[in-house]
Amino acid sequence: MISTLLIFIFTPITSFSSNIQLSASIDKNQLTIEDSINLSIKISGVRNPPTPKLPPLPDFVVRSTGKQSSTQIFNSDMQVSTTHKYLLIPRSEGNFIIGSVTMNLSGSIYRSDPITVTVKKPSPIKSNENRPVYTETSISKTTPYINEQVVYTFKLFRKTEVRNLELSMPYDESFFQKEDIGKAKRYSRVINGIAYDIDEISIALFPTKVGRSTIPPAIMELDLIYRTQRNLQRDPFARFFNDPFFGGAAKSKHKILSTEPIELRTQPLPKKEKPTDFKNLVGQFSMTATIGKENLDAGDTTTLTVTVSGIGNVMDVSLMKLNLDKKFKVYPDQPTFKQSVHGNQIGGEKIFKFALVPFSTGRQTIPSIVLDYFNPDTKKYNTISTNPINLTVKPGTSTENLNLVQSKTAPTQKNGSTVSILARDILPIHTRVEDFENIVFDKNQRITYIIGILVPIVIYILAAGYIRYNHKMKEDMSYSRRQVAHRKAMKKLDQLSVSNPEPKDFVRELSQIIREYIGDKLNLQGTAFTSKEVGEKLNKNTFADDKIFAIKKLLEKIESLQYMPVVADKDHCLIDETAELLLNLEK
Amino acid sequence: MKTKKFFFLLAILSTILLSTSRVEAQKKDISSQVTLANEFYHEKNYQAAAEIFENLVDQGETNGFLYYNLGNTYMRLGNTGSAILNYLRAQLLLPRNENLDANLRYAINQTQDQLSPSRGGLIPSLLFWVNSISLIEHFEILILFNIIFWCSCIGSLYYRKPPWKSLKKISMAILLLAFFSTGIKYYLLSKHKIGVIMDKKVNVKSDRNTQNVTLFELHEGAIIAVNQKDNQWAHISVSADKSGWIPIESIDY
Repeated sequence: MISTLLIFIFTPITSFSSNIQLSASIDKNQLTIEDSINLSIKISGVRNPPTPKLPPLPDFVVRSTGKQSSTQIFNSDMQVSTTHKYLLIPRSEGNFIIGSVTMNLSGSIYRSDPITVTVKKPSPIKSNENRPVYTETSISKTTPYINEQVVYTFKLFRKTEVRNLELSMPYDESFFQKEDIGKAKRYSRVINGIAYDIDEISIALFPTKVGRSTIPPAIMELDLIYRTQRNLQRDPFARFFNDPFFGGAAKSKHKILSTEPIELRTQPLPKKEKPTDFKNLVGQFSMTATIGKENLDAGDTTTLTVTVSGIGNVMDVSLMKLNLDKKFKVYPDQPTFKQSVHGNQIGGEKIFKFALVPFSTGRQTIPSIVLDYFNPDTKKYNTISTNPINLTVKPGTSTENLNLVQSKTAPTQKNGSTVSILARDILPIHTRVEDFENIVFDKNQRITYIIGILVPIVIYILAAGYIRYNHKMKEDMSYSRRQVAHRKAMKKLDQLSVSNPEPKDFVRELSQIIREYIGDKLNLQGTAFTSKEVGEKLNKNTFADDKIFAIKKLLEKIESLQYMPVVADKDHCLIDETAELLLNLEK
Repeated sequence: MKTKKFFFLLAILSTILLSTSRVEAQKKDISSQVTLANEFYHEKNYQAAAEIFENLVDQGETNGFLYYNLGNTYMRLGNTGSAILNYLRAQLLLPRNENLDANLRYAINQTQDQLSPSRGGLIPSLLFWVNSISLIEHFEILILFNIIFWCSCIGSLYYRKPPWKSLKKISMAILLLAFFSTGIKYYLLSKHKIGVIMDKKVNVKSDRNTQNVTLFELHEGAIIAVNQKDNQWAHISVSADKSGWIPIESIDY
């Protein structure tokens, strides 16, 4: 067994090619136009075969209903098969041949045998009463007037369960305008003692042409569900598995039900007593008019609302032009239409709104608005009108600001409003006096811009020099000492000149200032060096010989004063000489 | 000596004050003239309004709204050519004014040729903002980014930190772009002259003589590019393949 399974798993797709078979079969070869054929194409001996190619079937509607694969193992003998299923719905009666089904597998062509099918008329049944399911269509009037509402009703009678309903109710669009009448209705009725569930769908058709016309058959496709009862006493699981949830006890049968075509003869409207302003309005209608404000100031706007309601082609209602041009400026709004169902007929209400601006003050009257329609029940033309409306216009203070737009004459059956431009004009002048400042691009302006460009560059150069100097002072100690040496020495000399030290201390301090200066200048550590050493160091740093000589001489002088037994008082000449020498060294 | 200095300073101060008050007085005068012209316009006395606006322009007043109002006034007077010319002048100073754009479009629609101003070629198409920013605004932007760039240079030198260096690079890129954009704008304004046909109908000739072949006709308000002037004739073009010579008095720019 395991070896068989392994063979199955690792067997390539075409390993059974030596035993490949293609066969086509149908569930019946004699049927009525109301039935359908289940076509099964079985391919055995190969796993995952390509989809077979069906022959041309112009006399049938072909629908795929799925694919089944099976594998059977009997004593190490494995059989695999794939079955493609199709539903064939006949389009007409007669004898037809379902040609060979072909399959191309690795270059080999496999064919099934052709099948002959006979499609007959359904057996005439005197009444529909014994049939599990049947359909009916009816029409409210077979000789309607043009534009009169005709209700076309389709009914499905069923006493068994049905599924997958699909209804087609075709009509000639060149002859009729169609409007839906709500949703399908479902109710039950007992006919000759048998309870039927009835599904009813109605549509309203408005004939648009005079003459004979035919409403073609309505076609309903459905699946009839037959449930078989198992022997509940013998089979303990039957009660459980007989539940519709498991579907095991149900069988379905596809059916196509069609109705008889219906002939109509549309009559023209009578010419006798036809009003001159009649505009193809057929049905029963009423009309009201209301005004927003009866008392208003001159320049104010009020709204006149005219509502036309009733049964029939309300959507086609259009009013005559209001004769108010001398009394009011009229801004018509786009009419709105709301459809409603009255019994089994459609109707609705159409609302017209007009914004009115009175031209003059005083008592004004909006005259009656008149509408003509044809009543097919009484076969007479009727005229309805609104009552005149009185308005009182008081003198106002504000001036009228007329709009440049008016409503568009839009299609009568569409809701919503749009406006169209009546006229175009230039936009107004600029009045803010502050904005009239002179803007010139003269020589001065150009100089300003050039300065604006150059000044940041100059600032950058100055800032960069300063920043670089600061950085060097922070980072380079010898540079820093050299830079501050003279300033530091001069400061100390100033302090020494104002202080009053002992003569010996004065000389020592002066010597110290000079040595510190030289130390800072030459970046030397400490101050313990002789005048000879100073001369060598200065010489190394390319100081002029006369300067070196002068500093050496001064240092020697100070040293000699320092070691003299008696030193004279503070010698300002010595400070001046030192200051002059340091200044000289800086040059 | 001190008295001399005092009088000198006093003289400078009084000169500054006098010139400031003169400028203020001039401003007030312009404002009152504009107000008056606007009132004339509202009273539908368009001729009087146009005269005042034209006077202000002749006095050297350069202002986008002044040209815009003058354009409107000429539109009301039915002088579409002058209206379009003034709208175009206004557009140089108010490149993003929607009312001006709308009125210019409206005026162009009123003309027979319905020629729109050329946008200037490939470079202004790439630098798409060039036509939306006036020359003065270009210079102001250039100066602003110049200041930002040099400040970022100083910051970068002082702080020596990567963010400052990035800022320096970014501001340099923007500054170069602003510089290039300003150059393009200046070039377009100085070289790319736009004119408007003022006569009711003008024959565009193949050369500078009325005896030459008439290549095509232009009508009042047609916007053209003035390529060259030669004595009493101007070489104009309306597109790459339509150019010719017209008498210089037929156009204004």
